[in-house]
Amino acid sequence: MKGKKIKRLGLAACCMMAALMMQGCGSNKNGQKIEIEIVQYKPEAAVYFDTVEEAFNATHDNIHLTISSPNDAMTILRTRFIREDYPDIIGIGGDINYSYFVDAGILADVSDYEGINNIKPAYLNIAEALKLVPIEGSYALPYVANAAGILYNRDIFEENGWVIPENWEELIALCDQIQAAGKMPFYFGFKDTWTCLAPWNAMAVDLAPADVTKQVNRGTTTFATEYREVSEKYLQLLQYGPSDPFAYGYNDACTAFARGESVMYPIGSYAVPQILTVNPDLNVDSFVMPANDEKDGNTLNSGVDLLFAVTASCENKEAAYEVLDFLYADENIQQYIDAQNAIPCKEGEFQLASMLDGMMGYIEAGNMTDYQDHYYPSEMAVDAQIQTFLINRDVDAFLKKFDTDWLRYNRDIIRLVQKYEEEHGK
Amino acid sequence: MIEKKNTNWLAMALLILGLSTIAFPLYLTIVIAFKQPSEMTNSISGILSLPKTWSLSNFREAMRVTNFWHSLANSLLITIVTVVLSIAIHSIMGYALGRNKAGNKFYSFVYLFIVSGMFVPFAILMMPLAKQTAEMGLANWFGVILLYVVFYMPMNILLYSGYLVNIPMALEEAARVDGASTWRTYWKIIFPIMKPMHATVAVLTALSVWNDVMTPLVIMAGSETNTLPLAQLNFQSQFGTNYNLAFASYLLSLIPILIFYVICQKQILNGVVNGAVK
Amino acid sequence: MMKNERKITFLCITIPILALFVCFNTIPLIRGVIYSFTNFKGFGKYDWVGMRNYIDLFSDARVGKSYLFTFKLAIVTTIVVNVISLLLALALNGKIRAKSFFRGAYFLPNILGALVVGYIFNYFFTYIFPALASMVGIESLSTSILSSPSKAWIGIMVVCAWQAIAMNTIIYISGLQTVPEDVYEAGGLDGATGWKQFRYLTFPLIIPFFSINMVLCVKNFLMVFDQIMALTKGGPAQSTESISYLIYNNGMSGGQFGFQSANAVVFFLVIVFVSVAQMKFSSSKEEQL
Repeated sequence: MKGKKIKRLGLAACCMMAALMMQGCGSNKNGQKIEIEIVQYKPEAAVYFDTVEEAFNATHDNIHLTISSPNDAMTILRTRFIREDYPDIIGIGGDINYSYFVDAGILADVSDYEGINNIKPAYLNIAEALKLVPIEGSYALPYVANAAGILYNRDIFEENGWVIPENWEELIALCDQIQAAGKMPFYFGFKDTWTCLAPWNAMAVDLAPADVTKQVNRGTTTFATEYREVSEKYLQLLQYGPSDPFAYGYNDACTAFARGESVMYPIGSYAVPQILTVNPDLNVDSFVMPANDEKDGNTLNSGVDLLFAVTASCENKEAAYEVLDFLYADENIQQYIDAQNAIPCKEGEFQLASMLDGMMGYIEAGNMTDYQDHYYPSEMAVDAQIQTFLINRDVDAFLKKFDTDWLRYNRDIIRLVQKYEEEHGK
Repeated sequence: MIEKKNTNWLAMALLILGLSTIAFPLYLTIVIAFKQPSEMTNSISGILSLPKTWSLSNFREAMRVTNFWHSLANSLLITIVTVVLSIAIHSIMGYALGRNKAGNKFYSFVYLFIVSGMFVPFAILMMPLAKQTAEMGLANWFGVILLYVVFYMPMNILLYSGYLVNIPMALEEAARVDGASTWRTYWKIIFPIMKPMHATVAVLTALSVWNDVMTPLVIMAGSETNTLPLAQLNFQSQFGTNYNLAFASYLLSLIPILIFYVICQKQILNGVVNGAVK
Repeated sequence: MMKNERKITFLCITIPILALFVCFNTIPLIRGVIYSFTNFKGFGKYDWVGMRNYIDLFSDARVGKSYLFTFKLAIVTTIVVNVISLLLALALNGKIRAKSFFRGAYFLPNILGALVVGYIFNYFFTYIFPALASMVGIESLSTSILSSPSKAWIGIMVVCAWQAIAMNTIIYISGLQTVPEDVYEAGGLDGATGWKQFRYLTFPLIIPFFSINMVLCVKNFLMVFDQIMALTKGGPAQSTESISYLIYNNGMSGGQFGFQSANAVVFFLVIVFVSVAQMKFSSSKEEQL
């Protein structure tokens, strides 16, 4: 008896709620219009994409655009792929996931899209290099980039008359000076392992070949050779940070830097919004990590933060291109970079955020190299290996493990590369 | 212990001592939920200090960002339906298996088969389930509920059949002598006796469902339906987390489940077994 | 006639529910097992690799390390949680004041989301606990235990226990509710009080609940994931990578879906084995008593 009552109650509740939810959906479907759906992976830019969506739909009668900016978008994309429920356009980062998606044949060739000619060649090359093996066609439209180097507190620098270092010697001298002045040069948030990659990437672009992973895949070199200097210099940096950097997370480090507890913070431009929420008045700028002993040997560590790719199953490429045209309109890109302190991948005159001032020379000259970790498979957990290395401080053991693990985790990719080279007679 | 009519002060002292381990984190949660991001510091005195103003703006903002009432309705729907179905289905299954598994190979196999389902790592089921639910047209809240009913079946059956051990067969036999069918006997006699266990199951199931992110994320990906935990994901991204809004939002979503728990607690503790067995 | 009706009713109950279970648990599991023989990344095309994933599994130092860590954590946490929750359940079931307040309060840790728990305990272990330790003068604890590869698991243990105690206490309380008052009355006449009463009267009667709790605890802590994500994300120096963490992180977010499916299959068999052994052990205890 009681059970029935409960069941009936449940049923009633169920119906009520269902009715409630039905109202929510189902009202905006319009049979006449072409539906274009974008899923992009940067939830922090959701506000921007909402305004774009609204503006687009207000000005276009033939196409209805939906942009979703979910958190954990990669999981959502993967589960949708397995269901074969593909969005028309995906917005992802230029990293190994993109390489996998190209390899899996999920993406469509967009070399016939006219807008591609307005994209800076440096970034198109980065996207090209991400392909596991050279495949005909362009699959990525880089939208914006970010850069990693060293953020610094401009006010403290000016008060003390410190200048931006341009090679490794100058950087170390500056750190000594800062320490002598009783301040902490760097803050690290190594408890969050991924932050270990920020200085690593920034130094590796200066000291190792840009295509080191591909060279290793071809068997022409080893990480033990190419990464030794990076590893040794990284250990040198450690002494200028907090005594137990593994106790603090990314958030702690951002807060500490924002509060002036350290003068510099080796991290990407993407950290600036978080830092400014703690201290909106902080006068922050950034400079390129001068890891090379020669000034000319340095390059800006910059990679594609957001690229758009049309999926192979998109039924209406014309409509997708129309949406892309809208996204690439100068005023929209400007709006994006204002909100996210990003670097546009499109050619043209844009007003960049002031915290990129110190990197301007490199950006204008196009002297940029992609993050090395964009080629690392995430399951190899290079970030955790670097953290382990920084704790144990054993360069040889770290590099040896790096080499053996690399072969183990990239087995399929290496086989793919070898097969390709055999077929193409290299 | 029991025969004393007055308060057990030893137990009281223990409880109060233990309470401090809960009060401190709770204090921090509340304080952070009221602070502004610019009030966040790494110093101990800074984190312990009270917010500058007791403004509800974080809560309002959190409600706006999560589309609170809509997400709340979805979460409530999924939780309530799952709990109701779980109590009905799992208790009767627990009864069927619990009463028969002792002497019957089939039932003891089914019992072990289902209970061992508890140990399947969700990660291995996730991809196949995403595919399967989509194929069956269940990539929606109803599919999520069905999955919950299956996921919590092993544990709840374990609980129910464990509880049955202490319910004497004599009760059922008496009813059977009176000519009642097994089905009727179950709903009239056994189901009400298991009330404390229903409350326990309700609490445990509701709690797991209420806080679960993965299942709705994977199954309902791409649909408009958002549950509260899904909506709360909006507060964190790799490069920045707004802890103040997030904490305010978590405090808000804590209230319904706490109320539910307090109600169920009464049921667990006003158990009817003692009277019934006599 | 009567017997038959009972049999049919039970079958009518069991078959459909079993079918539901098979449909949404067994079938996807089988599909998952099939993936474990491939190099599937989670999307796109894949090749059959035979037993390669299983062979790799047994030669993978990282997986081996994660088993050691997970079992160490699970065993210690299970003991800590059960001792404390049994004490709590007895106390909460006893003659105390403000009963419902206490019961509500002790339930709270369980409903705070992982983000909140992670933030607060990170803060506690990073800043507050070291400050307290150096005030008292314990030098070895004056740095964050979460940054030490040898001590980080203790931090995770504390948080797991802190959160799990509520659940276990509820189960123990509902177990204590099945103990009829007259048992105590009879026991009271024989002079059984305090520890003796618990050992010889209460405990034997709640053994089914004790074994449920043991099984659930071991299972939950062997499958520990949320607390790791909230506190250490496997660090420092990969010292707190649990098995579930590896399966999820490398299988779902990484490109190792096939390999981690194999890991999950083996892990599933291991847990089933452990739990069946546990249940066998406790049911033999039950019969003894």
